[in-house]
This record gives sequence, C-alpha cells and structure tokens, in this order.
Amino acid sequence: MTQETRIIESTWDLTAYQFKIEADALSLFVKGLKDRKILGRKCGTCGTVYVPGPTYCRKCLIDIDQVVEVSQEGRLDAFTVSLADVRGKAVDNPFISCTVKLDGSDSFLMGVLEGWTDWRSVKEGMRVKVVWKDVTQGALADLSHFQLI
Amino acid sequence: MGRNVAIISVGYNGRFISKRPDINIPELIQPAVNNALGKTKLKPEHIDAYVVGNMHTFEGVNQPHLWASDHFNGSGKPVMRIATGGTTGASVYQAAYYHVASGMYDVVMAIGWEKQDEGDSQVGLMGILLPEAFSLFHFGPDTSSDRGIAGLGGGGSTGGAAFQAMSYLTRANAGIEHIDRVAALMRSNAAKNPYAHLQQPGCTEADIAGTPIISYPLRFGHTCPTSCGAIAMILVSEEKAKKFGLTDRVAWVKGLGSGTSDATTGNLIEGQITDPAEQQICKITAKKVYSMAGIKDPRKDIQVAEVYSGFSHQDLMWPERLGLFEEGMAPKILDKGGYAIDGELPINPSGGVTSTNAIGASAMVRVGEAALQVMGLAEGGHQVKRKIENAVAHGWGGLFQFVTITVLGKTPVKK
Repeated sequence: MTQETRIIESTWDLTAYQFKIEADALSLFVKGLKDRKILGRKCGTCGTVYVPGPTYCRKCLIDIDQVVEVSQEGRLDAFTVSLADVRGKAVDNPFISCTVKLDGSDSFLMGVLEGWTDWRSVKEGMRVKVVWKDVTQGALADLSHFQLI
Repeated sequence: MGRNVAIISVGYNGRFISKRPDINIPELIQPAVNNALGKTKLKPEHIDAYVVGNMHTFEGVNQPHLWASDHFNGSGKPVMRIATGGTTGASVYQAAYYHVASGMYDVVMAIGWEKQDEGDSQVGLMGILLPEAFSLFHFGPDTSSDRGIAGLGGGGSTGGAAFQAMSYLTRANAGIEHIDRVAALMRSNAAKNPYAHLQQPGCTEADIAGTPIISYPLRFGHTCPTSCGAIAMILVSEEKAKKFGLTDRVAWVKGLGSGTSDATTGNLIEGQITDPAEQQICKITAKKVYSMAGIKDPRKDIQVAEVYSGFSHQDLMWPERLGLFEEGMAPKILDKGGYAIDGELPINPSGGVTSTNAIGASAMVRVGEAALQVMGLAEGGHQVKRKIENAVAHGWGGLFQFVTITVLGKTPVKK
C-alpha cells in the first residue's frame, strides 16, 4: 500500500442515548444538602457507612435503608494539584481537588480543597471541614468545598 | 485445572509507533500474525481457533474484528472477541488459554492490537486522567455545579491516577523524585527493546523532572504514549508441543487469574473502602495465581516481572501489590538498582507501558514479554541475563478495578 488511508468526516449524535443513574441513592444525599446535613446509608450486617449511600451494600449485596448523618469534619485522604489546564497550559491559580473521609463514613467524598497558601505544605491526613454555599438549594453544588482546619 | 498449555511463539507487527496512516486495522494485525507463525513451523491451517481483542471505541472503527477475520485466516474457524479495557490483551490471552486447557482445541492464536491514530483515544483516556469519570461514577452527573463536588473536571487535568500516585507516595514515604527515577529507567529500558515506542537511551531522572507537571505528582514524563501496534501469540497443548518438537524454547502457563473490584477505588473486597493505592484485588488475585503455579515465595521464586503501568508511580506500586516486594519497599529497591535489567528483580525490562501503550495489545505484551524472557528470546539487549525459572505478567484495566495476573515458567506444573 502506498496511498494513505482515506479520512472520512462524520458526526455522532449523543442525544439519542439515555443515561440512567441510581437516583434513589443520590437523592437522599442531595436532599440532605439543602438542610446542610450529610446523609448516608449504613449496612446493618457489616456496619459499613456509605456516603452518598447506595440502596444496597456493595460488600454484603443486600438492600440497606438505615439512614445516618455523618460528621462535617474529616481527614484529607488523597489529593492532586492542578497546575495546568486540559491543554497543558500552566494556570495562574492552581487548585487542589481531594478525597475526604468524613468522620463516621467509610467511603470518601471528592471536592475542592481551600484554606492553604502553599500547595507544597498540604499533606495527607490533615483535618478538613465542609464549607457550604451561602444559599443551599438541594444540589450537589451546595457543598462548596473543603477547608483545612 | 485442565491441561498444561505452552506459549510457543510471540509475534509483533514491528515497532510500536504513534501513527500508521499508511495501513488500516487488518493490515496492522496481519504482520504480527505472520511474525508469530514464522517463528514456528506452523502454517495458518494449523491454528484451530482465534481469540482477538482491542479496546472498544478508542479507534474510529467499531467492531473491527468483523472485517479483520479474513486477514488472520479466521474464516471457517471459531473467532471470539474480548474487550475489558486495559486488561483486554491479557483477557484475550487467558481466553485462549481456556480454549486449550479445556481440551476443546489444541492450537489457538491470541491477537491483541490498537490503532489509536484512527480515533480519539484521548477522549477515552481523559476518563482516567480527569476526575470527571471518577466523580461521575461516585456521585452521578450534575451539570448544574461549577466547582462543587461534581464539577471538578472542568477546571484542570487532575485525575484518579494522580490521587492514586499521591496516596502511594504517602504510604511508601517516597517522593516525586522516585517517580522520575522509575520513569527514566523505563524509557532507557525501552531503548534496548527494538519494539518499544518511546526509546530514550540513557534517559535520566533530570530528563523526566524537566517535563511539565500535569496533575501533581504526575508529570508529562510519567504518562504513557498512545501507540499503534499488534501482538500475536500461539498457545498449544502439552501433547502438541511435544509433537511439534517444541519443548525447549517455550513458556509454560503455570498459573493465571483475574479479579474485579469497585470501579472508583479498586477496593471493596474486604475491610474498609479505601484509596486507589490499596489495590486489595491485586493482592488477592496474586495469592491465588501463585498457589496455582506452585509458587511459595514470590520474592524468591520469580526472577522477572512485567507490570501494567499507565502511569509511572504504578511501576512502584504494582510490584508491591503483587507480593514481589514488601509494601513501601519499592522506592528503596529502585534506589539500590534492584529494578534494572541486571538487578535483583528486573521490573519491565521491555520498558513497560509508560514507554509503549497500544491499549488492546498492552496487557498481552506483558504476557508476551514475560514469555520471551522465559524462552530467552528477548531481542536487542533487554533479555535478563541470569537464569529465569518463573516470570510474572500483570494487567490493569477499567478505572481501577480489573486485574489479570499470569505466572509463566520453564517447566510445566506436574498434573
């Protein structure tokens, strides 16, 4: 073969697809956010607390419906510092996204970390607290960010 | 347990490279098939069945096996396609193993490939590199937020792999310089492998440290390339290996297995839900595979490892999770030179996935490279000199949750 492969332009209409998510699981969490509460579900068999809570225990594979509120303070688990945008261009204001394990929860939440001046001084295991938006309306965005204590 | 199975031949398309605009997918596969056959006395008609695979949707062509079958002589024979993300190549090889071990077929060819220049694999890979997918699986989509918990993806190229890297460094009490060091070693190993994509002879820690940070602690130099390439392997039963007179230069499959865990963290089997650096499923699967292979102490009984590391910190993490080093010891062993081709336990003499990543082929390349090391046929100076009795090959896929592990050896397990 000497000729290059021919390139054909085309489009792909994604609106023809429907995506379903486990609405019951997320809606408990989202409704709680309006009242500034972080709600999850606890498995009565193994005691695992999931936040946000699925309607079944992923370890025991049984339905769970015990709602629990967890603390708004927790431990900084893993994090990463965004020093560049998606095109690889350096950003003026780096930001940290992190995973946090709130006290009383066995799963982690993701969020933006604030309350630091030098990102090099941020370490795993630091204590953080939840910061809410001024007005909470029952949406994931109500949980503004995590703040270093 | 089934019959004993041997890998008798490993064939490549040629060197893995970024773009092959001159050929299409079947034309990419065919040379690898011919190369694998050419290293034996076998003809296409000796192959009883084919198992093939690539990463779905990463190429511009959907269902490429439908039109590629003729090109590897699959017409009139059983052809099965398998896709399990990053582990595709190893899943394909494992299915080929089952074909033979079950007694259904005697000679089976496994083919894995990826032709990434025809599609936009970056779109798929961003699901791993960006946290959007991470957060999507965790919370479900929420388009209303800006920088709240579900809107993280928009602002920067952070990602699950970076979280894992950070967590690993904390656990192992290591620094970004260790990731630089292992990345440099992989690129210089690749220079000794004529089939590797990013070959950088004598690549140093400083060369890698000079590349920009994408998402701390991961730099550009810590990430894998997008490669085009194909690999084909021929697996035969013990009786056929004897009949073909091929018992000297073969790699026996002694143990194999795969495992699946939670999509977001990779850890939901036992104990706590924890960070993606835990990789409990890898530890559990490794134990099962070693027991099947009759390996009592992997640190003594295994002489070389090929691990699937899309990001360089994983070259430190996986050998620990595979039980080859104690947890947290990998950076120290790396510093002492233990990782090198002439080291205590060579890790990825081929240069690994951070040097070459044709996704659907990559996990099979790990098995193929382990087989070549056992056979003593690794080309271009990346053959481990000291005696290899057993080699381990590992595959990683999905977001964090799929793992495939294989132990190959010089002598078959007695049945």
